[in-house]
Amino acid sequence: MNSENLKTSAASAIVQLSHVDKEYQLGKVTVPALHDVSISIQAGEFTVIAGPSGSGKTTLLNLIGCVDVATRGQVIIDGRNTLELKEKELTRLRLDRLGFIFQSFNLVGVLDAFQNVEFPLLLQKTLGKKEREARVQALMESVGIAQYAHHRPGELSGGQRQRVAIARALVTKPRIVLADEPTANLDSVTGTAILDLMQELNRQGTTFLFSTHDPRVVARAGRVIRLFDGRIEQAGTESARADEASAHAAPQAGGQP
Amino acid sequence: MILFRIALRNLASHKLKSFIVGGLLAFGTFLLMVGQALLGSLDQSMARSVTGSLSGQLQAYSTGAKDKLALFGDMNGGSDIGTINNFKQIRQLLEAQPEVQAVVPQGMDVAMVYGGNIIDVKLEALRAAEKTGDRARSQVVRAHIRRIIALLAQDMAKIGEVTDLAHASTETRQSLADLQNCGADTFWQNFDRDPLAAMEFLENKIAPLALNADMLFFRYMGTDTARFAKEFELFEIVDGTAIPPGQRGFLFNKLNYEDMVKHKTARRLDKMKDRLADGYKIAADDDLKAWIKLNKDQYKDVSYQLDDVAAAQVRGALQQALASKEENLDKLISQFMDMDDQNFSTRYETFYKSVAPHLMLYSVKVGDIMTIKSFTSSGYPTSVNVKIYGTFRFRSLDKSTLAGGVNVMDLMTYRDLYGFLSADKKQEIDALEKASGVKEIKREDAEAELFGGGAGEEVVEVGTVTPTDQAGAVTAAEALAGDPSPAAQAPVGLAVSPSPSAPSVASGGPSSAQSKSKTRRWSDDIANRVYSQDEIDSGVVRHMAIILKKGTDERKALAHLQSVADAAGLKITVVDWRVASGFIGDFLWVIYTVLATALLIIFIVAVIVMNNSMVMATLERTKEIGTMRAIGAQKTMILQMFLAEAVVTAGVFGGLGALLAVALVARLHAVGLPAMNDVLVFLFAGPRLYPVISPMHFLISGMLVALVALISTLYPAWLAMRVTPLEAMQDAE
Ligand SMILES: Nc1ncnc2c1ncn2[C@@H]1O[C@H](COP(=O)(O)OP(=O)(O)O)[C@@H](O)[C@H]1O
Ligand SMILES: [Mg+2]
Repeated sequence: MNSENLKTSAASAIVQLSHVDKEYQLGKVTVPALHDVSISIQAGEFTVIAGPSGSGKTTLLNLIGCVDVATRGQVIIDGRNTLELKEKELTRLRLDRLGFIFQSFNLVGVLDAFQNVEFPLLLQKTLGKKEREARVQALMESVGIAQYAHHRPGELSGGQRQRVAIARALVTKPRIVLADEPTANLDSVTGTAILDLMQELNRQGTTFLFSTHDPRVVARAGRVIRLFDGRIEQAGTESARADEASAHAAPQAGGQP
Repeated sequence: MILFRIALRNLASHKLKSFIVGGLLAFGTFLLMVGQALLGSLDQSMARSVTGSLSGQLQAYSTGAKDKLALFGDMNGGSDIGTINNFKQIRQLLEAQPEVQAVVPQGMDVAMVYGGNIIDVKLEALRAAEKTGDRARSQVVRAHIRRIIALLAQDMAKIGEVTDLAHASTETRQSLADLQNCGADTFWQNFDRDPLAAMEFLENKIAPLALNADMLFFRYMGTDTARFAKEFELFEIVDGTAIPPGQRGFLFNKLNYEDMVKHKTARRLDKMKDRLADGYKIAADDDLKAWIKLNKDQYKDVSYQLDDVAAAQVRGALQQALASKEENLDKLISQFMDMDDQNFSTRYETFYKSVAPHLMLYSVKVGDIMTIKSFTSSGYPTSVNVKIYGTFRFRSLDKSTLAGGVNVMDLMTYRDLYGFLSADKKQEIDALEKASGVKEIKREDAEAELFGGGAGEEVVEVGTVTPTDQAGAVTAAEALAGDPSPAAQAPVGLAVSPSPSAPSVASGGPSSAQSKSKTRRWSDDIANRVYSQDEIDSGVVRHMAIILKKGTDERKALAHLQSVADAAGLKITVVDWRVASGFIGDFLWVIYTVLATALLIIFIVAVIVMNNSMVMATLERTKEIGTMRAIGAQKTMILQMFLAEAVVTAGVFGGLGALLAVALVARLHAVGLPAMNDVLVFLFAGPRLYPVISPMHFLISGMLVALVALISTLYPAWLAMRVTPLEAMQDAE
């Protein structure tokens, strides 16, 4: 009956993981990081992956972000089975369908804020210069860093940097934005502001999936996936509750484009 | 575009690294550009010197040669470059080729010349005085001759002491006896009884004794003199005239003439004047000091030539110049020659105004008939008389002893000296030898009969080869080779008889006195004879210069001409001027190799340093590269980013180096790079080299620097491409 459920929701899901295992090979030792994880994320959700350090949050996001491959199970992103894609196609998938926000911002140090935001568009090579610059400009305004366009990352505060990173993640209009502990390197006030921004962007239509081990952040999530030792906690009730949450979240997000 | 921006920013943000890598690249490019410019112009100037003076763009010589042709290399005489017997045929074939302007026959050899000496000059003066009945003049000249004889006797006596008279040859003892005889009062008291007989005795017995002291060696090229003068663009007459077409004759190279033939003291003064003009100071220059010392010590070179009348005039002039009351002429000359930076120019003037007119400034003069001795290719001594028509120089190479050491002589005389005779003439000589019963034939006697046509006759060499004779010939050549720049001491070395087998006058070789008595007959028969082009071309030559038309590609012409010659069965080897010129040609290779090695080292170091620093940068930038990969950059984009960085680095610093090079070369082009010695004068085809940079140099440098940058980038780029997007996620938690 659960599998029935999964199948129906898979049709419209952006992210669809079924019975995914991930093991790391450390020499002769096999380190299990994820076990039998099945997740489905719909457009418009604002989902938090919660769990203590070492529980597998980053591993899970890496699989969804197509930067790592599952040991077992299926990972389907925006309808495409990642196991069947070549390295080049995965890279293109990341560029076109996914957005990334990193814990330590990961901006290109030699480029200014504007150029950092513009970077993915330059990789895409689909937009002309005018359109490109207009979109970058608009986005920078909406995340509130337009006045820092020509500052290098080294000249910006952590919060400002993360805003640049968020703009960069959004500039290609991805299907989903993945963020691994986006507030971990920020003080609580700034962290809250970043969270406010993400929530605001979600209301405008962007799907977010992010991890945290901060209970205060968890509290603001639309939906929570709890990880513990590589497994989704209280599989029965939790997933049911999560499914419920997502069912509620989807129309909620969709109703506010 | 974004890639170049990243590359530029990276360059700017890693200042020290960029400084080191950039410095190496800039220096390498700089060296490459300047080196190319210098080598390029050096190659051109050398080509001008070598091809315009002796070689022509191409040279051809016999395939039977045992040694390599080396026009400027070894001093010849020793090397065997074979002979060419069918020059006429070769010339016709080669000159029929579209790229060939002319083919000039050549042969190099070393000639010995017994320069006219002071006794000969004085005897002529005496004869003139006797003829006109000028008693007073005759007495003055006689006294002078007596003084010279006394000096000669002293020298001979010294030699006698050293060599143990008891074992001396009969000739030597006879010479000593003759000298004593002439030195005695009775000889001079009896002079008036039969002046002609006395003068004959002096000319035949005494004058030759003085010759030993004036034996000169000249390197010369036997050639079709008219074509040589026409085809070698640097050739020009300085004094006298060119040799009339088809006639026999000798042209001195002006520099060689000054160095070898001019009065030593005067020559040293000339050289001092030149050196002082170059900014040197007597007080601070060893060469100048050495020349002054020689002039002071060798006062006899001057006083010896002065008869009493002249001596009185010179004494007066020097006393005035020195404000001295000194009566002793030798001391006066010595004092006069002790010059310093202040008085040099006035004394130089005084010398040429008051002393030089009384001296025999040149022991061989333009217009003289000179007796040249040489060895045939088999070492057999020969001699021949030839008229000196003038002196010449190779334009802009006046100061170079390399080009200035070669004189020019007609081909007919060269063949006689070298011993190339036709089969007919060989028989004639054999017959003469048998008839007279002498081993060594007096060439002057045979000459008149020997000279003549000989078209198409088979050629043989005269004389028998003996090891000692060979050695003698080689030694003579080495004596000259030992000191290519005839500095102050050179003539001393030259005056020494090169080996026991070299013909010394005392041992009965054909003397100039004898040849002189035949001069009139010789000049009538031979000097004015005009040889046809056919006669000139039909004899033996050693090698030939192939002058190409302007703008011809040397390499193509060489290959073509060689194949044409081979197809026609002509046994010649064609080489370009670089090969033909011997060590001069190698010189370019040496510079080239040194430069190439230096560049190789610099660029290898650049590759290593650049590679290293880029690997470091890659490691530093792992996270950045991983991030780019995570957000969607393909591996090829990472490669492009690194290539862009290489191109930018090469472009910026290569460009900087090139700019500096252009600046330096432009400066050098404006001022000229001075030639420090006479080898460089030759290589630079003048006193200065004016290098230029061509677009080709830019292209080559650009490509090389780009290559270096690319090679340095390969490994770090490979590393960077292996960075996974996972690296972006790894956080220091
Ligand atoms: N590259 C790796 N090699 C080996 N083990 C790893 C690697 N990455 C993570 N792990 C292990 O997998 C488990 C999950 O780690 P991770 O996903 O980073 O947890 P979290 O992000 O929740 O802190 C941990 O036990 C961790 O030690
Ligand atoms: Mg983590």
